[in-house]
Amino acid sequence: MAAHRHHPQAGLRPPRHAADPRARRWWTVQALLTLSGPLLLTAVALFVLSLLFFPGALPWLGPLLLVVLVLPALGYLLAMPRLRYRVHAWELGGSAVYAASGWCRHRRRIAPLSRVQTVDTTRGPLQRAFGLATVTVTTASTAGAVKISGLSDADARLLAERVADAARLIPGDAS
Amino acid sequence: MSTPWRTLDPRTVLVHCAWLGAPLGSLALTALATGGRPGARAWITLGVVGAVFACLTTAGLISWRRTRYRVTADSFELSSGLFTRGLRAIPLHRVRTVDLTANPVQRLLGLAVLRAGTGGHGGELSLDALARPEAVRLRAELLARAGAHDAAEPLLATADLRRLRYAPLTFWVFGGVLATAGALWRVLDGIGVEPWRIGPVRRAFQEFGHSALWLTVPLALLAVTLLGVVGAVALYAENWWNYRLEWTDADTLRVRRGLFTTRSVSVERARLRGVTLREPLLLRMGGGASVRAVAGGLGDREENRRRSVVLPPAPRAQALRVCAGVLGTDGGADDPGAFGRSGEALDADALRPHPRAALRRRVVRALAWAVALPTAALAVLGWLLTPVLLYCAAGYALSAAPLAYALARDAHRGLGHGVRGRHLVVRSGTFGRETTVLERRAVQAWTFTDTPFGRRNGLVTATAAVAGGEDGYRIRDMSAEEAAVFVDRATPGILAEFLAHPSTR
Repeated sequence: MAAHRHHPQAGLRPPRHAADPRARRWWTVQALLTLSGPLLLTAVALFVLSLLFFPGALPWLGPLLLVVLVLPALGYLLAMPRLRYRVHAWELGGSAVYAASGWCRHRRRIAPLSRVQTVDTTRGPLQRAFGLATVTVTTASTAGAVKISGLSDADARLLAERVADAARLIPGDAS
Repeated sequence: MSTPWRTLDPRTVLVHCAWLGAPLGSLALTALATGGRPGARAWITLGVVGAVFACLTTAGLISWRRTRYRVTADSFELSSGLFTRGLRAIPLHRVRTVDLTANPVQRLLGLAVLRAGTGGHGGELSLDALARPEAVRLRAELLARAGAHDAAEPLLATADLRRLRYAPLTFWVFGGVLATAGALWRVLDGIGVEPWRIGPVRRAFQEFGHSALWLTVPLALLAVTLLGVVGAVALYAENWWNYRLEWTDADTLRVRRGLFTTRSVSVERARLRGVTLREPLLLRMGGGASVRAVAGGLGDREENRRRSVVLPPAPRAQALRVCAGVLGTDGGADDPGAFGRSGEALDADALRPHPRAALRRRVVRALAWAVALPTAALAVLGWLLTPVLLYCAAGYALSAAPLAYALARDAHRGLGHGVRGRHLVVRSGTFGRETTVLERRAVQAWTFTDTPFGRRNGLVTATAAVAGGEDGYRIRDMSAEEAAVFVDRATPGILAEFLAHPSTR
């Protein structure tokens, strides 16, 4: 994993476990629903309207739509899930939980098990359709919640259990 | 055997009348503006105000009748509740702070609110309100029997008139005037007065338009500045009158302040995670700084910002002393030398600077957003409309570029981080420079973020998560190679098992 990096980010090695391969499809559908879909629909609508009512505008409107709406939409749709899949990873270490996320801006978060307050597992309707889940490990600080998305259901259940167990066993200094 | 219950002062009910002032005042203004013939709307408003007032007064009366308190042999008890009877008791030996506060109305009526706190989470009883002599007596009684023990060096800072000169050193001198004008406009608009219709106002504006603008515009700016300065000084005085920062006992830091409204904030040492030295650009140029505590349990983010200020804008040396005093020494057991008596170790040159790539990033950002973008906009407009704007664009670019470059350099110079004893020190910012000192063991989690630019240039931003203050404190654009090593040194153990080269430690 991550062979493209010359030196590991911030002197940390990446987390051991990659996201579930199905997460790519989930992210693709998400991209379609949130950004790419609306952009493409707008482009199509403008194109059709212009075709019907202002055919004279097509020579300049066509390229404009292509550059401003269609290409960014397709680019996001194709690139985001791939980049995300390359970055998203997680690991439960002996004393801390570690997760990497993001596609353009990368983020790695590490929270010691001794600070864990709650472990939440969430499954949205889309995630359920793909058999995925998100595990969020919270600490006393809102800037310290480790969110691991794109896990398979089974992994999520196991991880949540193990984090909860480990947090119970390790003497807490959560304040 | 049982101690008799006591009631609150009956004048408490009168305090409810106070809020009638605003609606009645606005109604009176409407009446004046409409020439004494209030319309149907005014009558409806008056009716609603009357009904709400009757409800509130009744509720206030019932709640006054049902609120009782007493001090028994070992606890302080309060029985209250409008519909349900609730009894709260705090053991006397756990009482840490007893504060008396009064808003202007209460002060007028000779009342005071007494708050007894345990310093813990939500462990507070408040008696709203007592006659002042009674409140003072009760406070003395509670404190005498409470289990508070004194701190080594209790008083950190008190009010000082000379600090007033730092009050105008904020951009709010302008913003405040504009905001006040806007608020006034809305009030006038709300009661149906249109300032443009008033003769003298319109005439003044017309005369302003016809006058020699090169003279009157600077004069108007000067007037706004003066007004702003007066406002800022007045606001500062209202906020920081009778200011007092002290350790009420070894475990409770308390700030008291306020002229018309007295505010009092107590912070338990266990919830204190550090301090922030704040030096916004103007204040920094005037050699001043203010101090905020980084603490949990002060409410949401907004409330925390308001309540965590422990020192108003003051001379920098004094601010550093207060920082050192707040960080303190755990009853002398800890090393006193971490920040020195005067906090000189907080001063900057000792911090580790950030790589040149961070400077490049700041220069590029400043030149792109603050210089190139406005220049391009002006140039395009000039090309389309009038050549005068082209000269404006050239002039803007020539004058703004050096300024932007200087600010970017200053921003880079401001970056720094380091470990001092049991604390982590982080500094950044140019318009709002902040130096934050965090207790190392208060860090709950670490986050490393980087952008494509950062990845190419070996920059990463590390964020320390703490429970309190701003929650996340960022070490911006530090060298990616050193980040993990530094973090591992600052908070040993958290990321040891994820290091790329554990042998380099």
